[in-house]
Amino acid sequence: MTKRVVEHLLAIVVVGAVFGVLIARMHEEESARRTALDPAVQEALRLPFLDFGDPLDRALFRETLDALAPHHRSRHNSLLQKIAEVRREQFTTEAYKTGAEERGITSVKLLRVGAMYLQFIAIYVLVMAITVYASETLGVYRFVRMKQKKSSSLTRCLEVVRDVRLPHARRVVEAARHLALAIAKGLLSMVLFSPAYVIAYSFKTRFDTDSVVFMVVLGVLSNGLLITYAHKFTTFLVAESRKGYVETALVKNLFHSYAARIPDGIPLVAMVRLRKRFPGHVFHHIYLNAHHQYLPALKEHASLLISGLVIIEMALNIQGHLSYEMLKNILYRQYDVVLLIAFGMYLLVKGTEVTVDLMMEREARRLENRASMGGNDR
Amino acid sequence: MKAAPVWQRKDTLWLAVWIGGLTVLGLWDVAFLNRPALLRLASASWNTAIIGCAVVVCAFVFGWSSALALHALDHAGRRWGYFVVTFFLNLIRSVPQVVGILLGYVVLTLLIREEMVGSQTTQLMAIALVISIFVFLEVTDLILERIRYFRKLDFFDAMLVSGVRESRIINLDILLRNSRAHLVHKAIQLFGSSVFLLCSVDFIVSVGLSTDVSLANFPPTLGGLLATMDSKQDILAISTVLTDPLSAPRLLLEHLQGISTAFTIVFTLLCVFRMSSAFVARRRLE
Amino acid sequence: MHRGRTIHIASGERTLVAIDGFAVAPQQITILFGESGIGKSLIAKALYGILDPEELTVTIDGMSYEQYRSLPETQQLQAESFFVFQEPSTHLNPLMTLHEQLNEGSLAAAPHEAEILRRLWSASLEEEVSALLRLYPKPYRPSGGEKQRMLLAMAFKKMDAIIEAGKGKNSFFVFDEPSGSLDNTYRDVFLEMLFDRYRTAPMTIVLITHDYSTIGTIYEHHADLLPRMIFKELRLDGELRLHTFAPKDYLRWLDQLRPLAHASREAALTIEPEVHVHGRLLRITRDPQGREPCTMAVPYGGLVYLKAASGVGKTTLVKTITGLVRPQRMRARVAGQELDERTPIHVWRKHLWGKMMTLVFQHADEAFNLESSVRGVFAGLPIWRKRPAPSLDRILSDLMSEATVLSFLDKKVKQLSGGQKQRLNLVRGMCLDTTLLILDEPLNGLDFESAGKVIQMVQRKQEQGKAILLISHNEDIFDRIVPKDDIYYLHAVTSA
Repeated sequence: MTKRVVEHLLAIVVVGAVFGVLIARMHEEESARRTALDPAVQEALRLPFLDFGDPLDRALFRETLDALAPHHRSRHNSLLQKIAEVRREQFTTEAYKTGAEERGITSVKLLRVGAMYLQFIAIYVLVMAITVYASETLGVYRFVRMKQKKSSSLTRCLEVVRDVRLPHARRVVEAARHLALAIAKGLLSMVLFSPAYVIAYSFKTRFDTDSVVFMVVLGVLSNGLLITYAHKFTTFLVAESRKGYVETALVKNLFHSYAARIPDGIPLVAMVRLRKRFPGHVFHHIYLNAHHQYLPALKEHASLLISGLVIIEMALNIQGHLSYEMLKNILYRQYDVVLLIAFGMYLLVKGTEVTVDLMMEREARRLENRASMGGNDR
Repeated sequence: MKAAPVWQRKDTLWLAVWIGGLTVLGLWDVAFLNRPALLRLASASWNTAIIGCAVVVCAFVFGWSSALALHALDHAGRRWGYFVVTFFLNLIRSVPQVVGILLGYVVLTLLIREEMVGSQTTQLMAIALVISIFVFLEVTDLILERIRYFRKLDFFDAMLVSGVRESRIINLDILLRNSRAHLVHKAIQLFGSSVFLLCSVDFIVSVGLSTDVSLANFPPTLGGLLATMDSKQDILAISTVLTDPLSAPRLLLEHLQGISTAFTIVFTLLCVFRMSSAFVARRRLE
Repeated sequence: MHRGRTIHIASGERTLVAIDGFAVAPQQITILFGESGIGKSLIAKALYGILDPEELTVTIDGMSYEQYRSLPETQQLQAESFFVFQEPSTHLNPLMTLHEQLNEGSLAAAPHEAEILRRLWSASLEEEVSALLRLYPKPYRPSGGEKQRMLLAMAFKKMDAIIEAGKGKNSFFVFDEPSGSLDNTYRDVFLEMLFDRYRTAPMTIVLITHDYSTIGTIYEHHADLLPRMIFKELRLDGELRLHTFAPKDYLRWLDQLRPLAHASREAALTIEPEVHVHGRLLRITRDPQGREPCTMAVPYGGLVYLKAASGVGKTTLVKTITGLVRPQRMRARVAGQELDERTPIHVWRKHLWGKMMTLVFQHADEAFNLESSVRGVFAGLPIWRKRPAPSLDRILSDLMSEATVLSFLDKKVKQLSGGQKQRLNLVRGMCLDTTLLILDEPLNGLDFESAGKVIQMVQRKQEQGKAILLISHNEDIFDRIVPKDDIYYLHAVTSA
């Protein structure tokens, strides 16, 4: 295990050094850039008859350039963008005079970004805990439903329609109920697969989309995270249920009914419990093994979750949040700040990896009999 | 063994549902969406699909090569080489995909400005390349896992001691003959995740801070189209249906650009996921 | 149970088993032989009601499997029976200790656990057994043999509980390859424990095996039970049928086996007696007690038999010789090529594998790319570089009667029966024509007739001057065809 931890630490040190050099370099370039302006931009800005604040003048300038050099449209785009940046900077510089912050990494900015980083970690941990619990619970629920051989609402609806033994009125009511359920499930499914921005913009006028609670809810439900991991857990359960040890458990006469309302079955309460246990039931064996396999998946889960949170914060322009700050700095080309935030996220992923590795090592020590046999390989 | 009918092969069924759903949507749009918006939507969908497929191809090329390189270094006992390659791969792994792709877009912007990446096709391929850098490790991991799994079985050693070349065992017997289903499944998954990442990054980049500050004029994709003011207003209208259900038909007639774009993204993600899950279940890849 | 059942088992569109009139005699011991993969286990599991109807389509006497499993007689059978599965490694939960697994469900209140464990492990090792019970089953620890004995202990606990409750009339105990991971000593202990219980309370017992040497043990030590035993063999002659097996035919065949005399004393393989591998010291000796370490020499035209108790490391040793496992210390010489722990792997790759030596692995199921066709098994082998290249038909015709059917060549390996796979496994090894041929349990999964063919082929290789090293637990058979001077013993001395 020490080897793994050393590998992680070494990676952090090397990547930290690389980021450090890049950040210092960017910082220097940024300072130099502020003193030296592109000659083409300077020339354009000196043209007395053009007001670059006027969209009409900007369009005229661009069309003139395109007409003179039609094969260099991208370069013209770039020049106009640089002009816009310089003008914005001039405006910002004005703002400095009135007490606004400086460009690049400063102590004030560092503190502000640090606070955002801590908030990001808190949200990450919360969303991670909720998704892990919800994925397992949903995974168990889907597996048990499969074992109960419950058909889908749409199939039930069709079965009711075809069932001529039922009175007509009851058939209509039952069929409508199942159809409504099927539609609701379909819509819920669409929501679970929606990228965060689709959901958020759909409800932007209804909720305070900038609140942390909304972010957590969105983090759990959107971007397909919950449904992907719930499905993954069901897949683990299905794979485990086919293993040989389940047959041995069956011949030992362990309970094997998956009905919810009988004493020897799987009650709903047991499925939603935080610490799930199914003593005396074959499913206990299956669950233990699926749960054990889920642990390594947490690393991949962490990376996807961070990506999801970044998308939410950036796409929804949630001011005062880390990823929005990052996007803002990308767009203003303050790459030193961008790299600093990216390194922070790298550290978070690494932190999760180290934690998961430590948890796995603890499990492995117990399960590979290293503790009870003094670590000798026989 | 006879193949099961299509309606019993749920993965094929979901493929049909996906194509069918998008066809119905397309016909509806032809009938009710204005022509400029229709052209924008068609072009964005096409570009998204092209990039998605190109990502899959690039990711397989990178993944296959890196996995074979890692395996060769490991078994030739070249510890340092193995360590360096693993280190760089782990570095890519530890950067959240969206962040990595955003940084890739920054580089791409510089290249476009310098006119090193000019035509739209080159730009599409360059975007695919950037995305594939952050997803190809899934292929590397899969291939290494398959090789590792078969190395543990006697099958690998039995072929070795019979004088069969190792490269033949890995590429033909392990990967092509015994992992085809796994690779197809990974390709489906990669297509889904590349569409998700592309749309998300394009949405983020296009929304930006304001409309006149963007990284560059990238080819239109579904994410970019969704971020336009018109589309955003269209999807904002969805919430009105909650309080006024009778306004639902208006969504399908008056807010078609945004609704169609959002639906295409979500429906694609849903169907690709279902296809992938059904494929896993049918081919027993758990 | 006693009436003949019509059983049909299919996976999707593919029929796995279809048999008419399969009967098990009540309160008798049925010993069921047959090539591996022919369907013995599936039939027994189907009758026990343990197959998963979501995976397989099963009908018994025209009933759906759900109907069969809900019959009162099936439910009663499941309550008073036990099934010992053939792969102990996968049939124990890796996340529960052996003690927990030995004491759950209907085994929780079952008696005589200590006594059963004492006998299965031998009394002097009691402390080791209690340490073992605290372990979680992992691939190498406990060993395959220990896991097997743990499953047998479960069966005996259940059996004792039933005997104490005065039941047993409806019990159905299935032992599927119970000695697959046991050496002969433990196999005999198991048989003794089983037959002792049967003498106390006769139950319906099915012993599925392809270990024909069980017959010798029964005739020697449990002949009193022969009138209560039924020997059957499952064979596929166009269709699957249950035949009566005559154990005396086997004993007569055994009697006529003779070793071949080999002319050369020049050794194709020599290996010094001590090999350090995986942190263990393995020692080769001349005597079963391990007192006389000696260099093992496999002469040209000779057949050398290396014996060891289960789990000692026979397979590890031959994998070390073949360069598949790197030892900490080893000195060997194969056809003039010196080999030790520093020999780089490319020496084996370039000069030895498929040219000077090859190894036929014991589990045919794992030794093949199951997705490959029969023809594909031979593609890539160095034999095609020889001129003139041999014909595939000729190669196969020695052991595979199926080779005459052209479609057989295009069949996927996964569609072959276990016996066919094992024979194909041997053919692949033998067709290479290497100087040294190492055979690891070559009779695994073979029926009596195929075993005879394999022995003929081995002896033909000897006549061609090839050196053959053999490891097997089929002592009954190989003791008769290997001269006493060519028998060696392997011991794991201590942790290095």
